[in-house]
Formats: sequence, C-alpha cells, structure tokens
Amino acid sequence: MPIVELRNLYFSYEGSAKPALKNINLVVDRGEFIVLTGPSGCGKSTLCRVLNGLIPHFYRGRLSGQALVAGLDVKETPTYILARHVGMVFQNPENQLFLSTVERELAFGLENLGLPEEDIEQRVKQALDYFGLADLKDRPPYLLSGGQQQKVAIAAVMIMEPELLILDEPTANLDPVSAEEILELLEKLRKEKNISVLLVEHRLELVLRYATRLLIMREGEIIADGPPERVILTEHANIVGIPPVVEVYKILSGTKYALKDIPLTPSDLTNEIEAVVKRGVGH
Amino acid sequence: MEWVIEAEDVYYEYEGGGLALDGVTLRVAKGEILAIMGENGAGKTTLVKHFNGLLKPQRGRVVVLGMDTRHTPVSVLARHVGIVFQNPDFQLFAETVEDEIKFALRNFGFPEDVIEKRAKWALKIFGLEKYRERSPYALSIGERKRLSIAAVLSYDPDIVILDEPTSGQDFLQKERLAELLYLMKQQGKTVIIVTHDVEFAVRRSDRIVVMKAGKILGEGPPKKVLSDVRLIKEARLKPPQIIETAHSLTSKGVIVSKDIYPATPYELIRALGLGEDI
Amino acid sequence: MYLPKKTYLHRLDPRSKAFMLAFYSVASILILNPLLLVLLVISNIPLAIVAKSLGRWVKTMKSIVFFAVLIFALNLLTSVTWNVEYALTMAARFVALTSAFSIFFLTTTPEDLALALEAGGVSREYSLMITMSLRFVPTLARDLQIVTDAYISRGAKLDAKGLLNKIKAYTTLLTPLIVFEVRRSLMVAEALEARAFGATEKPTLYKKVKMTGKDYAFSLLWLILLIIVIVLKVTGVLY
Repeated sequence: MPIVELRNLYFSYEGSAKPALKNINLVVDRGEFIVLTGPSGCGKSTLCRVLNGLIPHFYRGRLSGQALVAGLDVKETPTYILARHVGMVFQNPENQLFLSTVERELAFGLENLGLPEEDIEQRVKQALDYFGLADLKDRPPYLLSGGQQQKVAIAAVMIMEPELLILDEPTANLDPVSAEEILELLEKLRKEKNISVLLVEHRLELVLRYATRLLIMREGEIIADGPPERVILTEHANIVGIPPVVEVYKILSGTKYALKDIPLTPSDLTNEIEAVVKRGVGH
Repeated sequence: MEWVIEAEDVYYEYEGGGLALDGVTLRVAKGEILAIMGENGAGKTTLVKHFNGLLKPQRGRVVVLGMDTRHTPVSVLARHVGIVFQNPDFQLFAETVEDEIKFALRNFGFPEDVIEKRAKWALKIFGLEKYRERSPYALSIGERKRLSIAAVLSYDPDIVILDEPTSGQDFLQKERLAELLYLMKQQGKTVIIVTHDVEFAVRRSDRIVVMKAGKILGEGPPKKVLSDVRLIKEARLKPPQIIETAHSLTSKGVIVSKDIYPATPYELIRALGLGEDI
Repeated sequence: MYLPKKTYLHRLDPRSKAFMLAFYSVASILILNPLLLVLLVISNIPLAIVAKSLGRWVKTMKSIVFFAVLIFALNLLTSVTWNVEYALTMAARFVALTSAFSIFFLTTTPEDLALALEAGGVSREYSLMITMSLRFVPTLARDLQIVTDAYISRGAKLDAKGLLNKIKAYTTLLTPLIVFEVRRSLMVAEALEARAFGATEKPTLYKKVKMTGKDYAFSLLWLILLIIVIVLKVTGVLY
C-alpha cells in the first residue's frame, strides 16, 4: 500500500478565492526520497501540511479530491492519529523544541500518545543511541548548535516511528557541513528504517544526489515529477536553478565531448569527464 | 586604494561570556563586494554590527569613512552604513509599505521632496509600487524580504551590509539579488554580504573573508579562497561544485595543477581544453 | 532565571520547596517587627549558598532595592501619623517575599514545576503553557535585541524627549516583535500537532518528580517552623 495517495486534490485557504493546490496527483511508496522544490509561494508547504493533516484540521479551507495517508482519509482523521504515520520537521528548530532536556524532548511525542512508561524508556534509550545523542541527553535543546538541534528535532519525530518523514527546508539556517550531516542522516534513516522521505529544498546542488524522485511545483500545481536525472533537464527545471555540475553536462551535450550520464555530484562529474578524456576526445 | 572601513585588532566579548571577536583586523575597499563567510557563531554578524556602531570594540578600533566608531553616534554612522538583517519581519516598523520605505529617510531628516523622490525610486526598482498602501504584513515572505532591502537602499547609504540575504531564497530571488548587488556596485556603493552560500559567493563577490571562532582565517579573491582545501575544511564550509570537481580532476592528472581552480562550468570546460569549439 | 546545578536544593521536589515558600510567605505577613523580617531575609543567605547561587541571589536583591525604597517612601508619605516603623515593615516584607521566591525560582526548572502541577492534577495544556512561556523568555529577549538593533540602524532614536514620544517610539519598536512572536506561536502550535499533542486526555508522565525521604524531611521542617510562627503569633509572643 502506498504511503501517500493524492488524487485530483484541490485546496483553497479560507477566505481566499485562488486555489493554493490545483489538481494534485501524487502517489508515494515506501523507501522513496522525494525532493520537492519550486519558486516561493508555489504550494510546497501547503502540500506538506495536507500530508500530516494540519490542512484541513489546523488551517481551514476547502479541500476536495482524495487524500489518503497510510490508507487513512486526511479529511476524516485527526492530526494526532496522522502523527503516528507522518513526521514533520520544520525549518526553525527553535520552534519545535520546547522542553528543558533532550531526553524529555524525545519522550514528549510518546507521552502524548499515552504509551506506557517502560515503552517510552526503551524507545528513548534506543533513539539516543541511534542518533548519537546519548551524551547530550541532559542538555537543554535550545543551547545546542543548529545542527544538533535539527538532529534532536528529527529524533523526536522519528521516535514515533512514522512511515513518512517530511522536512520543510530543514537546513536553511545551517552551515554547509551541518547541512550535509543532516542529509546523510536522512539517507541513513531511509535505508535502514525503510521510510519515505519528502524533503522541501531550494538548493538542489545539495540534495539532488539523495533523491530518488524530483517534484517541481509552480502556482499550486505539480509541473514535473520523475527521476532527478530526467526532470532536471526539462524546461521546468529552469525556474528552480540547475546545479553547476548538471550545467556542465548540458553545455557539453550534443557536442563530441558529451558526457554519458547525468552527474549529480562533483564526484559523478569527475568520473564522467575522466571517461570522456580517456575516450581520446579532448587533450 | 580607498578604504571605507578599517577594523584594527578588534576584540569584543558579549556580556555573560563568549568572546565573539578575538583580534580581527580587516580593511574594506570602496566599491568592492565583500563576502564574509564562516560557520554559525564565527563572529560574522558581531563584526558587521561594529560597522555602523551598534557595537563598539572593547579593544582596538573601527574607522568607517574616516569616523572612529567609538566616538561617533550610531545615528550618524547608520546614515552611511545600512544593515539589512536576516529576518525581514524584525525590520518592518511602519503601517504601509510606502511609509516603511520612508521610515529611515524621515528619521535621518531628509527634506520632503527628496523623500518623495527616493521612495518613488525604491518602490519602482523593487517592484513594490502596487503594494504602496498595503500593510507590510500583507506581503508574502519574499516580498517582505525585498521590502526590507528597499527600506535600507532608499536612504542611499554608501555602504550596504546584507546579513544572510540568500537564506531561504529560491533560485529566481537569488538571481534578482545578484542583479541588485551589481546595481549597487554600479552606483559606487560598497557591499558586504554575510553568507554561507559558497555558490553565490564564488560567483557574485569580489573578495571573500573567512572567519572562525572570532578570528579571520583567510581572505582573498573568491576562487583562490574557495580553492584552499585546508581553509575550507577548517571553516566548516564546502567547496563550490565546480571547484571540487576541478580539484578531483587535478589530483587524477586530468587537469594540470594550478593554484586557482575553475569555478564556473565554462571555466571548467576551458581548463579541460574542450573549450575551443564550445 | 534557572541554571542547571546539582545542589541539594535543586534536587528537591518543587512541592517541598513550596512548603518553604509557604513558611516564608506566612511569616512575612504575620511578623510585624522589621528587624525580625530582615532576619528572615538573612536566613535566605545560607539557602542561597547551599544552592551555589549566592551571586545571583545578591543580584536579584540589588535590583529590587529601588522598589523597596519606593515602598518605604510611599508608605511613609501616605500614613496619617509619621509611622516610620510601619513603612519599614512594608518594605522589609516585600524584600523577604521576593527573596524567598527568588530562591525558589533559582532552584526549580519550569518543567519540574509543571510536572509537579501535572502530578497534582493540572492538565497538560496548562503545565505546558508555563513551561513554554519560561522557555521562550530568553528567545524573546534575544529577538527584542535584534529588533532594537534594526530600529536604531534605520536612524530611529530610542531616547526621544517627552513621555508621549517615548511611548510612540516603543510601540513602533514592539510592533514587529509582537507580530513575529504571534507568528512564532503558530509555528510552535504546528510542531505540537506534529508531536501528537492532544492525542489522549492523560498523557504519560515519563519523567516524574518524586518525593524522596529528603523531600519529606525538608517539607516537615518548614511545616513545623510554619506552625511555630503561627502559634507564637496567636499567643501574642511574636510581634
């Protein structure tokens, strides 16, 4: 069963004539790593909020069409039930960390779900170990570095064992090294826990290497959906910025130095260029 | 060479501990676009707050356009040095977009006719004319960001400082920002951007200064600085994609080793000797 | 206000410390002799030392000196007869109460307080409100600084002449801050929803505050002192 099934989905915020989501059709299976991008205001955040039920339960409006998450109808299912299947991590860690120690922060979601103490204790211990947070367990989350905070935020959500993890520009405020650590963590989670990851991000040069699928939105609609290597070459990608390594591919394509495969990372590009040079073309 | 900002051995420690600046010496030339880079907590924002007098050095001194910041009030320095902070929502003080743009102009005591003229210019250049009567909070986040920049440029400071201007911005917004930087440079302004964004910095700045733990680790032309592997690693930055590729190709002998790596796709292609017919 | 430390007082359940507060509160009200009230305040010093928070306690005391003097002056000026002793009592009472509350808050996390309340039957919503308000205080202070920096950087002045201008300046300054913090509360609410807040009526309390032997002993001590004070007052021995 797919984790997400959206069909002919339309949504307008209350009091707004213009639809924020138009004719959305989206099926997500387990284990996918989807990068969702598009210009500011295209509806990325709105779409995410449908997936965990904030729309329509927290944000009022007209939602029509089919929206199933983990087989549950979003329109009929309260957010606290959907929270067991969909975890959401937001851009600013400050606004997601409320308690005075990392340990309590991790336990919070499970406390809310009413799990028995022993279960909570076990899961908290596991999470502390898995995420490398054991040393920080008594520290106040708001005194940690940005990267550590996002790790705690992810752990606090993953501890509820959702099948889908949504992250809305989680690395926007992080320095490049911390950002990469978070992305590596997401990839690890996807592989080891077989969850689906939906990552909203502008900086494709950072995230495309992890994506199994690239979605581009514009003005409420999904205008491109497919493997990143294919989608990044379509005309739709021009509005979202093409990573420099892909630009090299594009410039060389059609010439005698054309690269064989589309590089998504510097290391890909290095290999591709090496191959071209070895073929005897170039000097 | 005309130096518009000269910081000499500046020390600054925040109350409650935390040495933010540990002996920073830096000179900023007139008309240059300078990028200050480094991880969070390196002291970048603390440093730029010394340039309009918000913070005064506890040791050392900062001279801006000939004025020693320790002996010049902020209101005088701010007239020449505009800072656009990272979060636009913390910088919207007026009830309408037009008033927001006029806010600083009025504070600095410009004559009414000049205020009208400059407000009109700013609204136009930033595409905010249709919102002039609206509340700043009715705008989208991208528009609010534009407004926060417009509100500073409207009073025409000689030096403009932008704190993390590309953070959270989409591709088109970053392109527009690049055009804006170019426009400011054309006007003879000196621009300082504080940023993590190596791709943006390598293409759009004239010089990069790298900071860590309150000290300057290195500075120089963008490509040179971002090609310095050891420096980049120490500063917790990542090299731009093309530079990283060039570095690998050099270590594999595909490119002849140079100090300064190609930083754009075309430069890479040329460095490979593939460029003649492309 | 609270700083994590591992002292005896920090480790006590907030309910025990509440007994201590009860003693000081009742004692400050019942005792009229200003000298005795000052003694009450001085008795807080060893407590502050045990809590390794003497410096911060002193700082708090220093910051209320102005208000204490104000209370003294107001009471003196508004009394029918020139009653110095009464005014001194009022001022000393204020200082004694502040001092005791200060010790309490210096040694209790907002969360322990909230947990104690929850254990006592208060719903999670309210206890969370307390925890979060206190948790966001430093954040708000920092944001206020950012807004002030932006305000000054646009040439606006904070030292305007005249009360009306001052009010105008501060309103202009505070508006963006308030709007942002309201928006922030929305984002916090979203995050709470994502962590299944409200899923059950009675959430599990993973971390509990427990009353240990030390707690019962501590509580008993202050309870006894409290009873003694009341008895002494009622029998007219205490003034």
